[in-house]
Amino acid sequence: MSLFQLWAFIVKEALDKSFLVAKFFCAVHVTDTYLCSTALVHGPSMLPTFNLTNEIVLLERISTQNGKAGPGDVVVLRSPENPRKFVTKRIIGTEGDNITYIVDPKNSDRTETIIVPKGHVWVQGDNIYNSYDSRNFGPVPYGLLQGKVFWRIWPAGVFGSIGRRPETVDPALKVVEQSNPS
Amino acid sequence: MFGKWTAIAKESIDRAAIVARFLCLLHVTNTYIFSPTLVYGPSMLPTLNLTGDVVLSEYISHRLGKVGPGDVVLIQSPENPRKMITKRVVAMEGEVVSFLVDPSRSDRSRTVVVPKGHVWIQGDNIYASNDSRNFGPIPYGLIQGKVWCRVWPIDGFGSL
Repeated sequence: MSLFQLWAFIVKEALDKSFLVAKFFCAVHVTDTYLCSTALVHGPSMLPTFNLTNEIVLLERISTQNGKAGPGDVVVLRSPENPRKFVTKRIIGTEGDNITYIVDPKNSDRTETIIVPKGHVWVQGDNIYNSYDSRNFGPVPYGLLQGKVFWRIWPAGVFGSIGRRPETVDPALKVVEQSNPS
Repeated sequence: MFGKWTAIAKESIDRAAIVARFLCLLHVTNTYIFSPTLVYGPSMLPTLNLTGDVVLSEYISHRLGKVGPGDVVLIQSPENPRKMITKRVVAMEGEVVSFLVDPSRSDRSRTVVVPKGHVWIQGDNIYASNDSRNFGPIPYGLIQGKVWCRVWPIDGFGSL
């Protein structure tokens, strides 16, 4: 074969292989955007449900797109104060609900009551002493919700589903309790 | 006989794969690059018609933070997340907005500072527009795209 034919053959093979890779990335992207995605969560605002250090969770996008995310669900949402930042909080109430919340639990017992406006949700972190949430930036439009967190995949010790109620004990401790029958 | 069926099946799968790839490309372009959009309603008169215009909207600027005052944008409505509305950005975060609260009834005006991460949107037809004067400043994250130019009706062709 001449040099040109050899070169053409190599280019054709390279293109075929790269189309295969492109199709794979396509499939991954579609799944990530419309079905199920992963997220890295960190920070103190969802203690004890989520630890301070990095945890990897799975979030599904079908509930939020169909309006099925409701009170009790942990969701990932785009921060209303910084559109490039994503935060993880729990939905406390949806449109029309009466929410009574403690404004600043570290400093006082003062509570306020608010009705969540149409098309919005009220989100709070499980750790209300150290959480920047709807008590600070107000109710969040439903359109900012990105996905519902339903499963935790890292660290391996706390692999499992995320419930609709805030955990009261560090989930990592539960495993130790079960292995010690008295 | 069986060989003929497999040949037909193989051809139809090949054709279907081409159609699927084309739809894939169309979907990616429509969601992430630009797409034609039908806009209708009285809130953007006289810029956009009451009965409907087809405009080209692009989805790149808002991801790069390049949306600014004067741009006509597509937004996910803060009152109904399934609805998309078209309004003009009047002010960005930190800016001061003075607006007429209800121009068809009174001359009363209010002044508001747009909070961090939000934008203030208004329809060009302030007499018949449900916009930030009613539901307040909206988070930047609700912006879905920027309107670029009108393609239908033909005599209205051109950038907005």
